[in-house]
Amino acid sequence: MKKWFAAGLLVLAVGYTLYGINTLTLLTSSGRPAAGFFPLVIGVLMVISCAINLWGDWREEQEQVRSGVVPSHQADPETEAKADALGVDAHGIDGGQAFGRDVFIVFIYICAMVAIMKPVGAFLAMVIFMLVFLFTFNRKQVISNVIYSIALPAFLYGLFKILLNASLPTSPFGF
Amino acid sequence: MLAEIAANLSLGLSVAASPEGFLFLVIGAFLGMIVGLFPGFGPAAGIAVLIPMTFGLTPTIAIIMLAGIYYGSMYGGTITSILINTPGESATVASTIDGYPLAQKGRAGPALVMQAIASFFGGTIGVILITALAPSLANFAASFGPSEYFLIIAVGLLMLTTMMGDNKFKGFISALIGFAIGTVGVDVMSGQQRYTFGSAELIGGVYFVAVAIGLFGIGELLHCILNGQHRQPAKRLRVSFRDKEFWPNKQDYYESRWTFWRGSAIGFIAGVLPGSGATLGSIIGYSVEKKVAKDPEKFGKGEMRGLVAPEAANNAASAGAMVPLLSLGIPGSGATAVLLGAFLMWGLQPGPLLIVNDPEFVWGLIASMYLGNMILIAMSIFAIPLFVKFLDIPYVNVVPVIVLLCIIGAYAINASIIETWILVLSGLVGFAMKSYGYSPAATVLALVLGSMAEETFLQTYIISQGTMNLFWQRPVSLVLSIILLTIIIVPIAMTLLKKKDRANVGNA
Repeated sequence: MKKWFAAGLLVLAVGYTLYGINTLTLLTSSGRPAAGFFPLVIGVLMVISCAINLWGDWREEQEQVRSGVVPSHQADPETEAKADALGVDAHGIDGGQAFGRDVFIVFIYICAMVAIMKPVGAFLAMVIFMLVFLFTFNRKQVISNVIYSIALPAFLYGLFKILLNASLPTSPFGF
Repeated sequence: MLAEIAANLSLGLSVAASPEGFLFLVIGAFLGMIVGLFPGFGPAAGIAVLIPMTFGLTPTIAIIMLAGIYYGSMYGGTITSILINTPGESATVASTIDGYPLAQKGRAGPALVMQAIASFFGGTIGVILITALAPSLANFAASFGPSEYFLIIAVGLLMLTTMMGDNKFKGFISALIGFAIGTVGVDVMSGQQRYTFGSAELIGGVYFVAVAIGLFGIGELLHCILNGQHRQPAKRLRVSFRDKEFWPNKQDYYESRWTFWRGSAIGFIAGVLPGSGATLGSIIGYSVEKKVAKDPEKFGKGEMRGLVAPEAANNAASAGAMVPLLSLGIPGSGATAVLLGAFLMWGLQPGPLLIVNDPEFVWGLIASMYLGNMILIAMSIFAIPLFVKFLDIPYVNVVPVIVLLCIIGAYAINASIIETWILVLSGLVGFAMKSYGYSPAATVLALVLGSMAEETFLQTYIISQGTMNLFWQRPVSLVLSIILLTIIIVPIAMTLLKKKDRANVGNA
């Protein structure tokens, strides 16, 4: 997936640059940089760096295939890279199992919640999200799941809508 | 000079110690402890999500509360590092290296107390240095032109990316992504629309709060789910400050006496340098402490100095990061970038003139940090049993709290469903970035600073009539240009040298 993410970034970088070149003015009539100048600089740098990055990730994957050694799952790659650069071993928390399927499920639930928020209202969308989420990952606690799924949205709805007077979508029932 | 500082601080205290100021400071510090406690919800996300909750407050009180969340999380993040080997946030990763082995040795109590003392020490030293340095730096920065500002931003982002070791290229790309998102909207110089695709909602640009909540909130949360945090049962831990073994012994204090100072100094410097922040500060603090120790072999096996150093450093760094923010209007980390966004939302004009134009705000914030550190050390020691109780809550029940706060918080700011979708998309991108070694902090930093970078770059271009000679003709610019070139050239030279060495070894 790492390689595909890098490839996706390269495609977006190319798209960003080409769209900018086609729609924006690069230089003014007096030869000064115009609205498209900075995006062009960013775009070109992105295309070059994303291409090198993709090449590096692809080579890394090939190396893994050749050696048969799969690196352990990293808990916090950014921080660990910084620690590595300073010679500090911060990998004590690595090596666990990766739950990619759960990430996918939760992300779909999040998308569904945002999609139904307008038609059914924020409160009901929150309740539905919580019920579905808790009954997926915490099935055994039926009663506490139901209570929690109503109590937390009620608290947040009250806090934002009533106390902070924030504008939240309301359902046809008025909440 | 001292009389002026005393007068400014007393002005600040009149704001921070007012009943309203104190109440929201305590709320901010408490929320910060909780934000730090739970993995997947760092200070940047905490501040971003809670911005909408501060709408009813005055700007100064709101920022005092948000800043309380920021430095409070440094205290809270270590509790889980020590007790369950899971850093609450990235700035406490280095604290795990010796903190958890200390707990395994049955010294969790002394470790928790020492981390609280180190945090207080580092935080307070940091605020004292802010008090001394921020006004002088602001005075000095008043003469800065566009070339200096552009170079500071470039140096900060390059430092952030080059300190990412093998992932520095990914860090660089992360910053470019932030700049690219920052170009969406109307160009301030020409008025031309860029990358809006005809959408009226994008004319004002991509709203950074939604991106920040997505990258830091949803992104980190999904990453925690990938790590299986939600599948782990609740940790039933008990810590009581009434136990005799809870308190550190004389040896702990004696051995760490210089570590407090070293960690604080290193952390503060790391915090002040744009792009470094508390994470890097704590790692450098740990690394230096191990290098200067006569017994480095003890580190990693439950050495108190190995915990004190990063703790003093990350708190001093969180204070240090406020110096460029308050005096230059340039944030040094993801969390301070979000704070800068909050400043702008409240109509404050960050930069050297902020201290002159809004002294009540700046000094109120600085004074609140003195009080906040006192509140936090008391909370960190005497309320530890309460915070440990929070760990009884299984992570599966924490996930919905974070998701709902992120989504409702993002929607509530402008009542925009498009921004909510931007949040969701940013969450997915943030997850991928976090999982594959990119830097969401660099993206947010570049997003917040993007328009400033573009504006100052173009101003430099126009003033120098296309020659860009301002980058080496002005003394401060020249120094910054040399630093910039050093940051670029040194890693390349080191890589080439290493390759040459390897080739020589291979030939031999």
